[in-house]
Amino acid sequence: MWGEIMKVAVLQIEGTNCEEESYAAFKHFNQDVEYVHLNLVKRGKKRLEDYDILFIPGGFSAGDYVRAGSIFAARLKAIAWKELKKFVEDENKRIIGVCNGFQILIELGLLPGVDGISEVPEAALMVNDSNRFECRWVYLRKERDTSFSKEVPELIALPVAHAEGKFFTTSKILEEIEENRQVVFRYVSPSGGKAEYPWNPNGSLNDIAALVNSYGNVMGIMPHPERAFHWYQHPDWTRKKREVGDGYYIFKSLLHHK
Amino acid sequence: MRARELYPGVYEIDILHATDDELMEISESMGLALSMEEMRRLKDFFASLGRNPTDVEIHAIAQGWSEHCSYKSSKKVLRKYIFGIPSKHALIVMQDDAGVVEFDENHAYVFKIESHNHPSAVEPYGGAATGVGGIIRDILNMGAKPIALVDPLFFAPPDYPYEKLNPGIKHPRYLLNGVVAGIRDYGNRVGIPTVAGMTYFHEGFVNNILVNAGCLGIVRKDKIVRSRVDKPSLLLVMVGGRTGRDGIHGVNFASRILGEKSEEERQAVQLGNPILKEPLIHVILEANEMGIIKGMKDLGGGGLGSVVGEMCYSGGVTAEIYLDKVPLKEEGMAPWEIWVSESQERMLLAMEEKDLDRLREICEKWDVEMSMIGKTKEGENLELYWHGKKVLDLPLKFVTAGVEYERPYKIKKVEKMQELPVEPNYREIFLRLLSSFNIGSKEWIIRQYDHEVQGRTVIKPLQGVIGYESHGDAAIIKPLYDSWKGIAITTVANPQLGEIDPYKAALYTVDEAVRNLVSVGARPHSFSDCLNFGNPEKEEIMGEFVESCRGLGEAARFLGIPYVSGNVSFYNEAFGKNIPPTAVLMAVGIIDDIRYAVTSDFKEEGNPIYLVGETKEEMGGSEYYRLIGAKSTTVPEVDLEELRKRSEELLKAMKKGVIRACHDISQGGLAIAAAEMCLGGNIGAELDLAPLGFMRADFKLFSESATRWLCEVQRGKEKEFESIVKARKIGVVSGNTLRVRDDSRWLFNVHLNIMRERWRAALRDYVG
Repeated sequence: MWGEIMKVAVLQIEGTNCEEESYAAFKHFNQDVEYVHLNLVKRGKKRLEDYDILFIPGGFSAGDYVRAGSIFAARLKAIAWKELKKFVEDENKRIIGVCNGFQILIELGLLPGVDGISEVPEAALMVNDSNRFECRWVYLRKERDTSFSKEVPELIALPVAHAEGKFFTTSKILEEIEENRQVVFRYVSPSGGKAEYPWNPNGSLNDIAALVNSYGNVMGIMPHPERAFHWYQHPDWTRKKREVGDGYYIFKSLLHHK
Repeated sequence: MRARELYPGVYEIDILHATDDELMEISESMGLALSMEEMRRLKDFFASLGRNPTDVEIHAIAQGWSEHCSYKSSKKVLRKYIFGIPSKHALIVMQDDAGVVEFDENHAYVFKIESHNHPSAVEPYGGAATGVGGIIRDILNMGAKPIALVDPLFFAPPDYPYEKLNPGIKHPRYLLNGVVAGIRDYGNRVGIPTVAGMTYFHEGFVNNILVNAGCLGIVRKDKIVRSRVDKPSLLLVMVGGRTGRDGIHGVNFASRILGEKSEEERQAVQLGNPILKEPLIHVILEANEMGIIKGMKDLGGGGLGSVVGEMCYSGGVTAEIYLDKVPLKEEGMAPWEIWVSESQERMLLAMEEKDLDRLREICEKWDVEMSMIGKTKEGENLELYWHGKKVLDLPLKFVTAGVEYERPYKIKKVEKMQELPVEPNYREIFLRLLSSFNIGSKEWIIRQYDHEVQGRTVIKPLQGVIGYESHGDAAIIKPLYDSWKGIAITTVANPQLGEIDPYKAALYTVDEAVRNLVSVGARPHSFSDCLNFGNPEKEEIMGEFVESCRGLGEAARFLGIPYVSGNVSFYNEAFGKNIPPTAVLMAVGIIDDIRYAVTSDFKEEGNPIYLVGETKEEMGGSEYYRLIGAKSTTVPEVDLEELRKRSEELLKAMKKGVIRACHDISQGGLAIAAAEMCLGGNIGAELDLAPLGFMRADFKLFSESATRWLCEVQRGKEKEFESIVKARKIGVVSGNTLRVRDDSRWLFNVHLNIMRERWRAALRDYVG
């Protein structure tokens, strides 16, 4: 039932800090996963093209001191922009960015990617409406099946932990995103209805929590699936029984080929 | 002060011919914070050598002898009460930078809590951030991976009138916001979850806030690294940040009273950099995995000086150090500055020469700097070199072993009394308590800390229905991927009791720590103590310290729970006022299987509610009495045997799965405990206090008597629960209000939404 074993690179620089949970999730499915520090790519010790999936985990890459994700993106661009573009243009390859990883994908111009890859960022993940970092659980509704979401139930709960997560762009691009059906997950209320704060934790336009590019092989997501891989990572497990965590299904979708 | 330049940047200080007045002038102008007695001792020592010291030597000694480094006032008391509680599972106790305790056959957990009070009072953001950074290094240098942070904080009330502030003192609101931001920005960036803590408000902290930070790590037993070196000819390698002028004299500063001019000592506050720390953690753990680290210590208070000293002295060797090899942030630093600088994010590793290249490779991958700055050797004397010239040559013992005092103390006699106020309006007082600073929701703080990163936090600091969570008693971390065993963590302190009776407060604090751990289903396992007190040179303050230690020691010894690490912070005094004695515990418990963990939120309509423990007319130090302005010195008594029995019973019942929710009863008493359980579960309850016997209803509701819990028991399992736990049934989970009566008399009936609104409003206007 599973495709062949995938080669997964969990990318990191200083300040990347959700790499272990992410690594563990792939390992759980017996995938060929490894940590790849950008310095190793820079020194030619690792090549992006050798992997099937690039996973850009959460954290505060380089401290997020300029703008969340911008330093990681700039370095990646400087080191391997051509390789990265080739990677995206190969429909069998996939990139997923979680939280800081999502911010990086936007900074790179790989998302929203309404027309493929853009040379400059076409959207932003802005400072939350609450104007502060918030760590809380949110509900997400699946908007469509993609190779990142096809195993995911309609309504799931995942944790967010960010200060800059408000998806923002021009109304034209927003329209295109919706037209292309690029939204994968939207924040919703616990019953699946329209999300007000705190259910939309950051004020994202159209309650957008996760997006794919128009090719369907790059996804950015603000909530953390890797922190909700097991049932016991859910905050309400003493109240409600689950077999696995809701984040499990996203990893399962990723690996379930074709 | 007479001085002569020996080499560029190095001076000989003439103390041999200095009068007493001149000695004090030297201490003052060099920022040494040494007393007359200590300066005389210094002079006698150099007289015996027949020479004057260099400035490097004087600074080195002052640092080694500071209260912060030497524990000169506290050591004797600690030894008598706190140290040496026998334990089967404690592996390294009070010797290294953090305590090490057995977790399972192959793993140990490592933890410690310490203070960062003085710097945070002057520069809250940077002070708090480096407090977090420092405690992480203490865990890291045992070879452990840091997996949890905690942070108990103490401020004056946020509505404290501006006009009452002393000159140079910052407003508690500013301090609260700065400290929380500092912890948030450091802890979140470095990727370690902040899972527990407390925020406590009391006027006694107006001049001196307390910022304590604790960290816990996990390590394979065969990878534990000691904070000492016992072999000569090992290289000493500095890894991480550069050395700068930030944090000069931090320890001397911390061993002094704050005053109007403390603002000018901002230089004593170090600057943290989490984005240097994060890769540094990787470097250290990767190097440790290779087994190339033969000894390690982090550079914190006291800087290079105290690290080299303590690391070698405890291992029975000494060292020679080349100060010019230390990478600097700025040019022109004097050798003494390099020796005492407390710049952050630095670690000192002892290793064999053959392994140097392997370390270099790891450092290059992570863009972390390293530099070989000296080596260990046999002999008595520590030697420092500066561009080939010897600038310090002293017996290591004299510099490091420090001094020790037996400070005189006076124990305050407590006259037992208790005012009896008129009966309150129950609904009104209940809601006022719910929205008081100490009881109200801390969600604004807790959510700014990432408590989920690393994916190990299986019982969170906020517990209940998503979006409606309430305060839990302890968090649980599941440290290993392939084991169900968990570590519960909580922090406790009771300054409001401490100011009345430090001894009983200490007993109560241990009681509360145990209560919190048992509430989530964990067996209390070990403690780390952070003892925050005023000026120990005052007899009554020293008395508070002695009494606190006596209480902490007695309770823990009875229960067989060791103190494995700790920290003392004295001189929390300013403008003649001392803080209330504040003994903070970071308590760790073990739960064999996290699947049996219990949270504080009510779960299900119709389940019975039980009260465990005895409620007594002990209103001293209670939130209720504080709020209505009534006086009482009758603080809760602790019966340690009862504590042990009830804890065992509850843990047994939890193992059987009959307890659905459990919450300890502390601030605000039974009423507030019940309210928090309702809030988290987003469900009401009906309580009848008649089973508590004959007592005023306000005492039944708001007494903070020790050793009590509220339990929600699975319906149908009442018999089984009652056969295990000594408890009284007092109510049932039901509806959407909290309704309380005393037999036939209704006391209040408040809707969940109103409770939640008032509870969340407590800090709302003061934060953000």
